[in-house]
Formats: sequence, structure tokens, C-alpha cells
Amino acid sequence: MRLRHLALAALALLLVPFVAGAAPKKAVLFFTGDNGGEIAPCG
Amino acid sequence: MIAREREKGVPVLVLDAGNALFKFPNSTGDANEKPRAELLLKQLDALGTSAMAVGARDLTLGLDFVRSGAKGLKMKLLSANLVDKAGKAVFPSSTVLTAGALKVGVVGVSPEGALPESQGKPALHAVLAEAKRLREKDKVDVVVVLAAVPYDLARRLAQQGEGVDFVVQSHEGRGPGIASKDGLATFIPPGERGRQLARLELSVDGPGAFLDLSTAGQAQTSLKNIEANLARAKERLATTKDGAARKALEETVATFESRRATLQKASKADATGSARTHLLSYSQLGADVPSDPTVQKLVEKLEPPGAGHDGHNH
Repeated sequence: MRLRHLALAALALLLVPFVAGAAPKKAVLFFTGDNGGEIAPCG
Repeated sequence: MIAREREKGVPVLVLDAGNALFKFPNSTGDANEKPRAELLLKQLDALGTSAMAVGARDLTLGLDFVRSGAKGLKMKLLSANLVDKAGKAVFPSSTVLTAGALKVGVVGVSPEGALPESQGKPALHAVLAEAKRLREKDKVDVVVVLAAVPYDLARRLAQQGEGVDFVVQSHEGRGPGIASKDGLATFIPPGERGRQLARLELSVDGPGAFLDLSTAGQAQTSLKNIEANLARAKERLATTKDGAARKALEETVATFESRRATLQKASKADATGSARTHLLSYSQLGADVPSDPTVQKLVEKLEPPGAGHDGHNH
């Protein structure tokens, strides 16, 4: 039982740097709107 | 343009704020109205648009036209407040999308009041309830409201939009603008008539409010300018003997120092409190952006070249 606790503690320690160093979540959102019936095949 | 962004490996979402399909909220009787709207729905879908709000100028040919036109599309039509004659919700209120690791809740909202074969219920309550649900149940990182509503109502949604990050407005065709923090959320104009594409770059590294990177840059630039002006004023003060001139310069230095303190605070907040940032820009879709030949052919079927339309640069 004690060994299991130690193993879990070691695993937590191993994971800490990954959590702390997690990169920001990045994304690009494109918006269109008010096209008003224009049929403009651009891009 | 969108494809280029995707090729760079940047997670991308495309969203439409509504009022895409028709020029006017009431039918003009033009035989091309319907095929144009059908083509637009298909092309919005083909562009990879994930969601679109339903606005007054999408309902011109009635509710059934939009409802049946949306069948089979990947793009979701959204409205948190639109109900049919029986008082039943017509479209989903929202959808949850993922862009890379970012989970984005998107809410659609339609104008309040009587609409063709339908009615827009009060918008604010509907949007707030949906934003709350998205935050609590779906644990989204960001909430975007596609507001196909008049400008004043959209601004109220931004001002009072607890749980909302961005309100993208369409209704009057106001054209491009700047991202402006208005109360709780940031208000974004999407551009109009297919001439512009609004591009919002997001970085999320924790909770809190979004910081506009364009404003952050302005504070730093202003700080540099004020420091240069302050140095010049101090130099002049050191060499001025006249009492009245010295007094005026001392007042100037005091004003500059006060302004510098304010800007230093703003710059520091930018540097340290920026767990979430956004940056808005617009791309103009003019003659320099090549048309897709397949789409061009479909358009020319409806509007032969030289047939005389509104002069829009296709």
C-alpha cells in the first residue's frame, strides 16, 4: 500500500513540469456577416 | 485565405454572424433571390463555416426556406430566441466547437419581435442563459455570440453579457471597425457584403478577461512618447531662469509624470495580466484575391458577366 502511495507521488512529480509548462491554447476565428445576398466567390 | 491559415497548422474556425442570404428583409420578387440564397448556403458550408446566426435578412423567403436549406449542411444555423408560430424553438441555441485545444461555445441570436413565420423572443435573457449553460455544463474556454440583431441590442448584449467573451454583430451592414470592450464582452463588427473577412487571433492561458493586444501596444508606444517629452521638458527646466516660464514648465513636468504613471500601470497590467489575449484584423476581399473557378461558374449562371449588378467587385 505504502509502495503504491510512493509510486503515485512520483508520478505526480513527473507530471508537474508538463502541467506547469502547458502552452497557451491558440486559435484563429474568422468572422463573416451582413453579406446581404452578395454572391462573391472570393478566396 | 482561410486555407492558407489552415496550411500553417493554426487551428481555425469560421463563423457567420448572419444576414448572409438576402439583400432585404422583405422579398423583392426577383427570380434570382432564391437560387442566390441557396448558392450562398452551400458556399458558406463549403468554406468550412461551422455556424451561422439566423438574421432578418436570412428569413426573407420565410422560415421553411431556411430550415429546409440548412438540411444536409455541416454548418449549423443557430438562434437562442427564434420560435415558430407554435412557440417552439426552431434552431439550436448554440454549438460547441473545438479549435485545437480551445473549446469554443457559439450562441446565435435573432432580432426581437415579429419575423416571417416566426418570432424573436427577448434576446438578453436567452443569450445569458445559454452562455451560463455553456460555461457550466460544457466547460467551454470561450463564448462567442453571433448577434444577428440591431446594433443597439448587440451593444447591450456585450455590456451585460455575463459569461460572454465576444459579440459579433450583423444587421445593418455597418462594415468593418475595431474590437471594442463594451462592459463585460468585446464587440466585433464582422465586415459586410463579402468584402471583408474579420480575423480574430486568440491566445488562452488561463481564466479571466481578454486583453486586446492592439490596446496593449498603444499603451507601450504612448509610454515611450511621454518619457521622451518628459526628458525634454526637464532639460528645458534645468536651463530656464525666468520664474513664469519655470512655473509653466514645472506644471508640464507634473502633468507628464502623472500621465507616465498611468501608462506605466497600463503597460504593467498588459505584461502581467495577459492570460488571455485577442487581436482583431480585417482582410479585404478584392480583385487581388482570386476567385474559385468552380464557384465563379455557378455565380455566372445567376449573374452573367456584364449583366449589370450592383458593381460589387466579384
